[in-house]
Amino acid sequence: MANKEDVTRRKFLREGLWGACLAGAGTAAGLSVARNNQDNTVWQIDPYKCIACGNCATYCVLEQSAVKCIQAYAICGYCDLCTGYLVPEPKALDTGAENELCPTGAIKRTYVEDPYYEYTIDEALCNGCGKCVKGCVAFGNGSLFLQVRHDRCLNCNECAIAAACPSQAFTRVPARQPYLLKGVDAKE
Amino acid sequence: MTRIACTAMFTLALAVPCLGAGSEMRFPPPEFESGYQFPETARPPTARPVVHEYIDVALLAVVLLLASYLILQRRSRRAIFALMIAALLYFGFWRDGCICPIGAIQNVTLTAFDSTYAIPLAAAAFFVIPLAFTLFHGRIFCGAACPLGAIQDVVLIHPLRVPHWLESGLRLLAYTYLGAGVLFAAIGGTFLICRYDPFVGFFRMTGNWNILILGASLLAIGLFVGRPYCRFLCPYGVILRNLSRLSKRRVTITPTECITCRLCEDACPFGAIRTPTEDWPEGEYQIAKRRLAFFLVLLPILIAAGGWGGYALKERLARMHPRVRTAERVFLEETGQVTGTTNASDAFRTTGQASAMLYQDATAIRSRFALGGALLGGFVGLVAGGKLIALSVRRRRAEYEADPADCLACGRCYQYCPKEQERRKQRRDARSGRGNR
Amino acid sequence: MKAETANMNLWHQAARTTTLVGAVFSGIFTGLLVWNLVGSALIGPTRENDLAALKVQVQKEPGNQELLVQIRQLDLQIRRDRIWRWDFAREAASMLLGSAVVLVVAGTFAGGLAKKPPRPQPVAERGELQMREARQARWSVVGGIAVLAVGMGLLTLTRWVSFVQGGNGDGGTPYASLEARQAQWPRFRGLAGAGVSTHANTPTSWNGKTGAGILWKTPVAVPGHNSPVVWEDRIFFSGADPNLRQVLCFDGKSGQLLWTGDVPTGPLPAGEEFELMEDTGYAAPTVATDGRRVYAIFPTGDVAGFDFTGKRLWHKNLGRPDSSYGYASSLETYQNLVLIDYDQSDGKDGKSRFLALDGTSGKVAWEAKRALPSTWTTPIVADVAGKPQLITVADPNVVAYDPANGKELWRAECVGGDLAPSPIYAGGLVLAIQPYSQMVAIKPTGQGDVTKTHIAWKAEDGIPDICSPVSNGTYVYLLDSEGLLTCYQVADGKKVYEHELKDQFRASPSIAGDKLYLLSLKGVMHIAQVGPEYKELGRCELGEDCFASPAFVDGRIYIRGAKNLYCIGGTSVGSTPDTK
Repeated sequence: MANKEDVTRRKFLREGLWGACLAGAGTAAGLSVARNNQDNTVWQIDPYKCIACGNCATYCVLEQSAVKCIQAYAICGYCDLCTGYLVPEPKALDTGAENELCPTGAIKRTYVEDPYYEYTIDEALCNGCGKCVKGCVAFGNGSLFLQVRHDRCLNCNECAIAAACPSQAFTRVPARQPYLLKGVDAKE
Repeated sequence: MTRIACTAMFTLALAVPCLGAGSEMRFPPPEFESGYQFPETARPPTARPVVHEYIDVALLAVVLLLASYLILQRRSRRAIFALMIAALLYFGFWRDGCICPIGAIQNVTLTAFDSTYAIPLAAAAFFVIPLAFTLFHGRIFCGAACPLGAIQDVVLIHPLRVPHWLESGLRLLAYTYLGAGVLFAAIGGTFLICRYDPFVGFFRMTGNWNILILGASLLAIGLFVGRPYCRFLCPYGVILRNLSRLSKRRVTITPTECITCRLCEDACPFGAIRTPTEDWPEGEYQIAKRRLAFFLVLLPILIAAGGWGGYALKERLARMHPRVRTAERVFLEETGQVTGTTNASDAFRTTGQASAMLYQDATAIRSRFALGGALLGGFVGLVAGGKLIALSVRRRRAEYEADPADCLACGRCYQYCPKEQERRKQRRDARSGRGNR
Repeated sequence: MKAETANMNLWHQAARTTTLVGAVFSGIFTGLLVWNLVGSALIGPTRENDLAALKVQVQKEPGNQELLVQIRQLDLQIRRDRIWRWDFAREAASMLLGSAVVLVVAGTFAGGLAKKPPRPQPVAERGELQMREARQARWSVVGGIAVLAVGMGLLTLTRWVSFVQGGNGDGGTPYASLEARQAQWPRFRGLAGAGVSTHANTPTSWNGKTGAGILWKTPVAVPGHNSPVVWEDRIFFSGADPNLRQVLCFDGKSGQLLWTGDVPTGPLPAGEEFELMEDTGYAAPTVATDGRRVYAIFPTGDVAGFDFTGKRLWHKNLGRPDSSYGYASSLETYQNLVLIDYDQSDGKDGKSRFLALDGTSGKVAWEAKRALPSTWTTPIVADVAGKPQLITVADPNVVAYDPANGKELWRAECVGGDLAPSPIYAGGLVLAIQPYSQMVAIKPTGQGDVTKTHIAWKAEDGIPDICSPVSNGTYVYLLDSEGLLTCYQVADGKKVYEHELKDQFRASPSIAGDKLYLLSLKGVMHIAQVGPEYKELGRCELGEDCFASPAFVDGRIYIRGAKNLYCIGGTSVGSTPDTK
């Protein structure tokens, strides 16, 4: 058996280390809390950085992406020949597969008055591929844009789409204002 | 005036890359004559209320308290198993396995390194609470609360013994993983540990196929090898095992004193039970002393070698950072070493930043990785050297006991102990005696 | 007791069988899932590529109904298949989960039944055993270290990119060096717009009718008066009509069209039509390359940058220029900058400016506002005693800038009217031309307004209207559109000779080696000796109208005719100067 002095010294060291570890954990917690002077954060796409590459549709951990397209009517041009709705040089202004841009047929086109048409996203069908966004941003007003839908998003600690986003358009935003909208809605 | 975007524009095969910023109103919104009103832009639902996270934190604390009681006081494997299943269902399947303390390592790290990052309260609490409990009661988090541990625990149907030496070697993996996870969270812009979380896909019932396959393979191994992720990979486990060595109170195989009956020798599927030691043969002490001296000298050499290796890898490690990858690609494109562009390089060009800025950023990140890589390498060297030293020191044990670092506090060994059986019998008797009265 | 054991055996048997069944089913469903995954990973993209290809095809054959039906069917099939695979994956996964649960529960049960009570055997020499274990563990850690070291070693084999530029020649810069550019023909009239090729091996005889001396001839569909530029084996120029703007790239070896790149434009303001003079055309400005990318500008105000594979990197509309004959100034480059003289109308509406765009992104690097009216001259970047000067000519000024930042260096008020011939820098002097009226030689060493101090000489005979001058440093040759060739001494502006060629000219004269090349509108190349007297060396007929100035690169002449692109020269030429 080791002598008594040795045992007490060892015990003292142990206790000290124990206390230090507990204090360390406490400090980590305290500092984290002190730092967290903001709201909790959620993932969102900055529509002005987004290049509509299509990764949102494929990289989300969900089978059907949490990202969907949003139409900001207030900045939509209501174009007859919508470049978010139709392929370049469409043969006819109809929903034939050769003319329609959306791979899931999620955009509804409604006649308003000559020569204006309203375009509405059917969110159940939208898969967040961003084809329409690309077309709209390239030649139109950019009223179509992608957003993470927080009723669907699991708010993963490391968002798989964010990791794959080529333009670093994914950012953590305060949960109180979880959307980065375009157009007049953005001002609210 | 017809609103037809000029047909010439349609001749483009590809969209013009430089458009992103600023919604140019190419076609001003029309003034309708038919009285048409702009519909409201669909208001997407708000994020999940924060209160849910506080519930999660409270539940975690409750589970750990309960587990402490069940494992140390009640000494009931069955109750711990039930609690573990409940935790698996809630933290795993119901809450989709996120946030978990393993991943929270990175949130805490990022908080320390990025002043703009606001750590969610839940992440901080999930990181700290199990640590505190471990300091008091050992790795009860692993045994009862961790959904990743639980899913492996339930599939363990025929545990095989992993040789002690193999376990020692494989453990280096977990330390390296922890070091890398911290490094990349701090300066790499990446949460490595979350990216390769093997089981979260099962909790969500969907996910990246590669990760699902990784998880399935680990579970398949887990049929025969107890909790492979926990023992050989888990970075949080590395922290917990070392804190657990200091814990005030932890699992003991026997409730009273050990009678060295050897019945529990093979009880632990995780190889955590240590046998009593015997004196070494004559002459061995001198060799052991020399060996220890050798490893003590080797330790700084290993640290230096690891540090040098990590430093030498700085450019490769820095490639984990998306900005560095983009910079490399843009540089290759601009110097004509590759043809064509990628989404990332296209996206960079839409920002209108000078590429010199990008290279500057990338170079700055690399120089950070010079220190970071050296620290990571040095850390791995320290762990390896420390392990060699620890394996050269003789420990004295008079009884069978659960290794404080390896024990996952599952309570499987209790039933093997005759003293425990005796205690249970007494308790049953006491209870039935009370009942009879 | 015996019955109990038999009973236990029966249970055990049942549990084991159930486990086995669970395992088999788990395997089957795993297999199905993998099949589904591989199927969607392999078939999905192929089908979508097919669909994309069909959609491209249908653009070419608008009337093909069969193709339309095919597209629609394929599209439907893709959508159906995607949904079917989703459903399949979900069902198979839940079945897999079910069988896995059966496997685990039955397996655990069987394991519990099979478990024998521990019966520890006596162990001799436990100390020995523990020592052995520790030794093995130490070796195992050493093995772990070795594995990590090997892993690090493998990682060092991966490639990374150093951002250090320069060093070995051109490899590390986003633009080619001056030396590399010298050997090429990177812009209108070659380096610095001098019209001078350093290669002495330029052909001197060919015939368009017989094809003798002509390496290849490729028809060019899109019209344009701009001149070809050459970088190694690639020849670039642009073409346009009112609805289409294209950059074309040809292979220098075979004449094959490598790619065409479209440049978009914005829609016209309502009610306006886009019409330009026929003599100017819709693609008058010549493209320019910095050795990495090629840039083009069109009279619509659209500028674009392409990489050498034809991918458009950027596009920018500068606003439609107000130019009475149509915008015609060609592009110049300096390092990674694209330099654009964008003077327009009378210069008083604030639209006139000189622009430098970053060639990699198209963003404005610098901009110099100027109150100068429309000009049809092309700016040059002259290497004045090792310092680059950007020299621009617009009524009434010759203005020099620092091309890196747009800072004005000097200006001289000495030219006027509608200016077409571009300036050159020769023998230490900037030579600027006011059509029909005078040639002015300016010493580019001054600062601020140098009108009174730095004009070396002026000449007034035989001043051209369209063609730019060419000089070997000693003599400067002027050629007007009616065929009057006038030679001056650069040093003092003394007229040396005058010669009537009796031909019409649009292309500017060039010097290759010691020979003067003068390409007439009818496609006749007059070749003469460079020197103090006119000495004809040959006349080669192409048999096609030529507006563009030819490009001279290493033993070859590239001539853009009205309908064809010609490469003149033998099949074997000396190696292209090494630029790598």
